Amino acid sequence: MDISFALTGKGYVIVAADTTAARSIVKMKVDEDKIKVLSPHLLMAFSGEPGDTVQFAEYIERNIRLYQIRNTYALRPPSAASWIRRALADSLRSRRPYSVNLLVGGYDTSTHTPHLYWVDYLGTMSEVPFAAHGYGAYFALSLLDRYHDPEASLEDGLATLRRCLDEVAKRLVVTPEKYKVKVVDKDGVREVEI
Amino acid sequence: MEAISHAGIVIGVLSKDGVVLAAEKKVTGKLLDMSGATGGSYGGSGEKIFLLNSNVISGVAGITADANSLVNYARQAAQRHLFSYNEDIPVELLAQRLCDLKQGYTQYGGLRPFGVSLLYAGYDPHYQFQLYHSDPSGNYSGWKATCIGANNGTATSLLKQDYKEDISVEDAIELVLKVMSKTMDSTTLGSEKLEFATLTLDASKQPKAKIYNPAEIDALLQKHGLGKKEEGDAAAPAPGDLTL
Amino acid sequence: MSRSYDRALTVFSPDGHLFQVEYALEAVRKGTCAVGVRGKDVVVLGVEKKSVLQLQDPRTVRKVAMLDDHVCLAFAGLTADGRVLIDKARIECQSHRLTVEDPVTVEYITRHIAGIQQKYTQSGGVRPFGVSTLLVGFDPNDTRPRLYQTEPGGIYSEWKANAIGRSSKTVREFLEKNHKDEMSREETIKLAVKSLLEVVQTGAKNIEITVMESYAKITTLDLAQIEAIVAEIEREKEAEAERKRSRLAATAAGQAAMSQAATGSGQ
Repeated sequence: MDISFALTGKGYVIVAADTTAARSIVKMKVDEDKIKVLSPHLLMAFSGEPGDTVQFAEYIERNIRLYQIRNTYALRPPSAASWIRRALADSLRSRRPYSVNLLVGGYDTSTHTPHLYWVDYLGTMSEVPFAAHGYGAYFALSLLDRYHDPEASLEDGLATLRRCLDEVAKRLVVTPEKYKVKVVDKDGVREVEI
Repeated sequence: MEAISHAGIVIGVLSKDGVVLAAEKKVTGKLLDMSGATGGSYGGSGEKIFLLNSNVISGVAGITADANSLVNYARQAAQRHLFSYNEDIPVELLAQRLCDLKQGYTQYGGLRPFGVSLLYAGYDPHYQFQLYHSDPSGNYSGWKATCIGANNGTATSLLKQDYKEDISVEDAIELVLKVMSKTMDSTTLGSEKLEFATLTLDASKQPKAKIYNPAEIDALLQKHGLGKKEEGDAAAPAPGDLTL
Repeated sequence: MSRSYDRALTVFSPDGHLFQVEYALEAVRKGTCAVGVRGKDVVVLGVEKKSVLQLQDPRTVRKVAMLDDHVCLAFAGLTADGRVLIDKARIECQSHRLTVEDPVTVEYITRHIAGIQQKYTQSGGVRPFGVSTLLVGFDPNDTRPRLYQTEPGGIYSEWKANAIGRSSKTVREFLEKNHKDEMSREETIKLAVKSLLEVVQTGAKNIEITVMESYAKITTLDLAQIEAIVAEIEREKEAEAERKRSRLAATAAGQAAMSQAATGSGQ
């Protein structure tokens, strides 16, 4: 039931995810953070099987941090995303694979470009200008096709995201009431209200 | 350590737009087949300079057999990094990988340490062009210009004297050849005694390693007026460029 | 790797020593000096830096390493061994966070490092790590600065101030004489620099100072700042010497006057 969106713009990536933790038809919690800050310029939204998501995200978080401490600089977004994909692909071929879908967004401080990667539990990865996981994808992708602009300012980017969230609220049978939205750009990661 | 001080000298110089490596070959002979020397592989007579990854070249001094096994390890380490992260291994990380191995051999019993020092010349987006040196104990450090092998004291003082900040790669090549000609035992430099390589960026800003083949080395020496005098037939074979 | 017992094993000598461990300590004594000083709510790590050679890249000469956001380590001894040990410690820091969701305490990671060092004194086919380490940091949710030391044998201990490496005995004695409890940030930094100056003749350019003020708040002083502190210490020394000289002169003059008076009265 998790819904997550992400889109790139001029020098930034916006990542949004709902904050509901549910079991069966019951909401357990409405302030769950499903976006991990992996390094000063890297975000990861995760969704899927509830236990798997947290376990996998924490594993990734610690390993990315270890790389940063060992080398004094963090992995660049393309390298980090490749490593994360590899972790999922290896897991898929293990006895008990993780069932986790990801959106990895980051800002590459050496080339000054934003990067967004769509990754699913089968280890598929592709670099995209915008992406969505979960039921939200059915409603948002067409909107993003129409309104996404890679050169848009942050305000315009957030407005486009707003459209997606509104559409989901309007059409989806059960809609999440709250979203957490994080932005990564040259200054690092911050949370924004929407 | 002793083995290294007798080995042929290897010089590395870092510049803003490239890194230069040169090495003195000790194994020479009229009948040695040099045709396989391109590419810095184990084959042919590429003895001192190797390509570790598309963004790193290295020069070795010490026991050649040990060096071959270290080079092999480094190439694997670089490929492992490529496999995991889909990027060229950062130069310092590759040096660290080798040093961890070397350190292990000094600490775990039953094995003798590697008798090899290496220079690593490479490029990565984090720190651009870099030059590192590692010794048999597993220490490493970064340099602007340095050398290993026989006569390294003389060469170091020459480098200190003539190295300038913001040196260009062309000047670095000239500096390396000059120091090389002054420190090597033989009076004239020639491709049978010298290995030479550069690492620069190509038009698309990707690192490009070039390990010179014998004909190119002779041509380069001629250009800088350090080569042997022409002996009649100057029909040198066409330079086979190692493009990566 | 095959393991058999005839390999270089650390064994007791007839009089109960472990020579390999003592040789490792010898390697530490040859290493550059490092000091740690604890203040009221600050802890300072100072290290003697070998001179960076003219053509060397200063970025790659590192003696102080971050283990995690809130723990720093300095070592004395074999650099390559230090690097390997630091790497093991860094892995443990992240692994600890992953398993129990909490950052390590400074004591925990010290104990872990000492444990690794101990293992290498007892296992077959290995030699001990030729490094001593100083760890500084703050525990999560705590304001007390911490300072620990480990040795090649695997001993670890907590200190108010301590030194390892070259001439560490001189420095430790200096610290014993001059350390006070509840020192401020400035006092602590100054004491660290002052104690290092006991062994570092070349002054500020061969000193590196890392200050930790609270959980995960770490600053490394730049050369200008250290130079300023060194200059201040020099001035104080100068003033002290001046005072001594004038006092000496005063007493000398007093004595002279007295003896003159004595001879005068004698006549």
